[in-house]
Amino acid sequence: MLAIPVLLGVSVGVFLMIAFIPGDPATALAGDTASPDAVARIRVELGLDQPLPVQYLRFLERLAHGSLGTSIRTHRDVTVEILDRLPYTLELALVAVLFSTTLGVSLGVIAAVNRGRAADLVTMGIAMVGLSVPTFFLALIGIVVFSLKLHWLPVTGAATIASVILPAVSLSLHSAAVKARITRSSMLEILGQDYLRTARAKGLREEAVIWRHALRNALIPVSTIVGLQFGSLLGGAFIIETIFGWPGVGLLAVQAIFNRDFPVIQGTVLLVAVAYLVTNLVVDLLYAWLDPRIRYA
Amino acid sequence: MRRSLIAGLVLLFTACTTAAPSPGASASSGSKVGGMVTFAAITDPETLDLHQTSNPVASTIFGYIYEPLVYQDLDNSYKGLLAESWTVSPDNKTITFALRKGITFTDGSPFNAAAVKFTYERLQRVGAKSPIFETFKSVAKMDAPNDSTFVLTLSEPYAPIFHDLAVSYAGILSPSAVQAVADKIDRAAVGTGEYKLKEWQTGQQVTLERNEKYDHAPAFYKNRGAAFIQQIRYKVIPDPATQLAALEAGEIDQLGLQAKDIAKYGADKRFAIFDSFAYGLTYLGFDAARPPFDDARLRTALSRAVNKDEIVQTVFGGTLAKIACCPIAPSIQGYDEKLKQYELKYDPAAAKSGLEALGYKASADGTRTKPDGTAFKPVLYTTTSSDHTKISTLIQAQLKAVGVDLQVKQLESAALLAATPRAEHDLYLNGYSWNEPDMFSLFLSCDRVKTSNRVLFCDQTLEAMIKAGRTELDQAKRMQIYFDAQKYTMQQAPWQPLYMPVSKTAVSARVADLKQGQAGGLLWHDAYLK
Repeated sequence: MLAIPVLLGVSVGVFLMIAFIPGDPATALAGDTASPDAVARIRVELGLDQPLPVQYLRFLERLAHGSLGTSIRTHRDVTVEILDRLPYTLELALVAVLFSTTLGVSLGVIAAVNRGRAADLVTMGIAMVGLSVPTFFLALIGIVVFSLKLHWLPVTGAATIASVILPAVSLSLHSAAVKARITRSSMLEILGQDYLRTARAKGLREEAVIWRHALRNALIPVSTIVGLQFGSLLGGAFIIETIFGWPGVGLLAVQAIFNRDFPVIQGTVLLVAVAYLVTNLVVDLLYAWLDPRIRYA
Repeated sequence: MRRSLIAGLVLLFTACTTAAPSPGASASSGSKVGGMVTFAAITDPETLDLHQTSNPVASTIFGYIYEPLVYQDLDNSYKGLLAESWTVSPDNKTITFALRKGITFTDGSPFNAAAVKFTYERLQRVGAKSPIFETFKSVAKMDAPNDSTFVLTLSEPYAPIFHDLAVSYAGILSPSAVQAVADKIDRAAVGTGEYKLKEWQTGQQVTLERNEKYDHAPAFYKNRGAAFIQQIRYKVIPDPATQLAALEAGEIDQLGLQAKDIAKYGADKRFAIFDSFAYGLTYLGFDAARPPFDDARLRTALSRAVNKDEIVQTVFGGTLAKIACCPIAPSIQGYDEKLKQYELKYDPAAAKSGLEALGYKASADGTRTKPDGTAFKPVLYTTTSSDHTKISTLIQAQLKAVGVDLQVKQLESAALLAATPRAEHDLYLNGYSWNEPDMFSLFLSCDRVKTSNRVLFCDQTLEAMIKAGRTELDQAKRMQIYFDAQKYTMQQAPWQPLYMPVSKTAVSARVADLKQGQAGGLLWHDAYLK
């Protein structure tokens, strides 16, 4: 229920932000050579001649009817524009989250189990690099190595399964590093606990102790990170989608911002807000599954 | 993932089915038919509604799908495309077009005068976003007395009309195709052009398919029939570094090069390099509407401090730009070598003495103050593009050399367009692109001071010349008017023209018989894949 005031707050925020961005959509749309008359006509057509509160109420009214309005640039329904892009964003987000979680958690466990030894140093070294190198740089390096030198993967587009690999991996490495560090520290905390000694005393194999008993508890903080990352990726990975020409929500939002296509900007920002709310809810439910002691009244 | 797999299979399937040219097509044009070329586009075309956009990607796509009544030949003169010929009435107000017979739209319906009338009436009704909307406001009457005669009556003579009728936005729509989708043609483009719209995958690519029935290409082509290349694809790649990587990887067949890449690709056997001039130029403008730059003497003094050669050499490596002397770029009708004598050439000594004479005295550190003793820190507004960043830095240094402390403010394009009518700026660095000497009325007329005239220059002498140029249909007289207008503008100095952009395009060596246009780009109709 808290979701509704949050969404209203976001909608006001987005609306005001747009009012303060320099640049007028009618001018941007009409182009460099437009006459004052043409600009005025477009402004009326878009309802931009109305005072801000009126524009906002109209926006809310449309929203209440389940419509995000019509894109200024394409004249298409914003919902349609977003739904066109959402499958791509979903695909990219899922692959990126799966990859980064698998990689990050594995590295974290290896580091924790081998604490202080070479394996720990190497994995944490890799994590440090992953944290420090900017995503766009990883993306460009990936293109040079895997597309231009090795010819394994396409540079751009979303036409084949291979297309998702470079963008998803570039997106993953930073969060894999975060997840590796968190998994390591929370594993270290848990590995010293009594119940693990009990498990070992029962005669359980070491693998079962680590992967079934210790890791499950260590994953609680990791699941928070996974949720946050997934939430933000659903709103589109702005930079990666732009670099790879990935036709997702992020690219749509970037183009909308350059074109001052306000309804589309509002739509994509609301989508991000909804995605965060939903993933937070899912993460809360996930806690209860990971640790049955957590109960929601 | 499954969606992607399906998409992949579909793509594979279409690739297989289109690889083999249709039998009828190959019989008429031999073995050249087939294949696909891919171009990079920085954005989607936003809409393919011919009358509701000024998007450059959409414009190039319109050029393949639609055809206007006339086209601009390589010598900049106008010839008939869908029109066979035309006559102009003695009062220069009525143009009677004799239309080509036997042409059909790609939906099978016939092209006729009613289609022309239908198209232009729709433009008048919904076309506020079209670059030629203004032109059609001066159309008083349109008649289609029979299928092959179309009569256009103007409320007053308008010389640039043929330019405006030749742009891709002036293409003719198929009325039956428009009615079939209840006027929603944003994704349903049907014309008489050499290609048809095959598919638009939002955010990804637009694919065009050859119109095998096409038979009336402009006379400058060897191939007057259907195009050879089976499909043309515009792939959305927003990032310039990725575009370059895509060219390297063979995912796109053509790319405009940046200065840093020219040497490398010029020597690369996998590509051929084509040069073309832009229809326009970049200028340094002054906000002529308010002090201190309402004074032509101050504008002249600062113009003299600008070293264009240094800009062309440093920013463009001497290859991607050509110095522009005069308001009309060398690629556009109306350019005249003889105007060079009036150019405000680089002369720092003259700049300094001009500033001195106006009372801008140098203080102890060499920086000049205004005549009233306050600081003189004029602000230059420009875009955030990397070229403009480099040029404004250079100009800053060049003005510093004569004691002027120039401030630079860079705004992202949309913000810049909104800021200039408010006259926040003192100087303005940007370009224009308009293939008609009437660019004066867009960029330097009183009518446009609140929009496209971004130097807010409004001068009655020039205004009279602009008006005369617009209404004079006699070619020689009209060019004399623009000669005088340019000379006058150079004396008034609202602009210091800097350079005309030159583009160098790398095209994959698998493309044969690609034709070089005089300016404006490459002509693909003769081209085929080796």
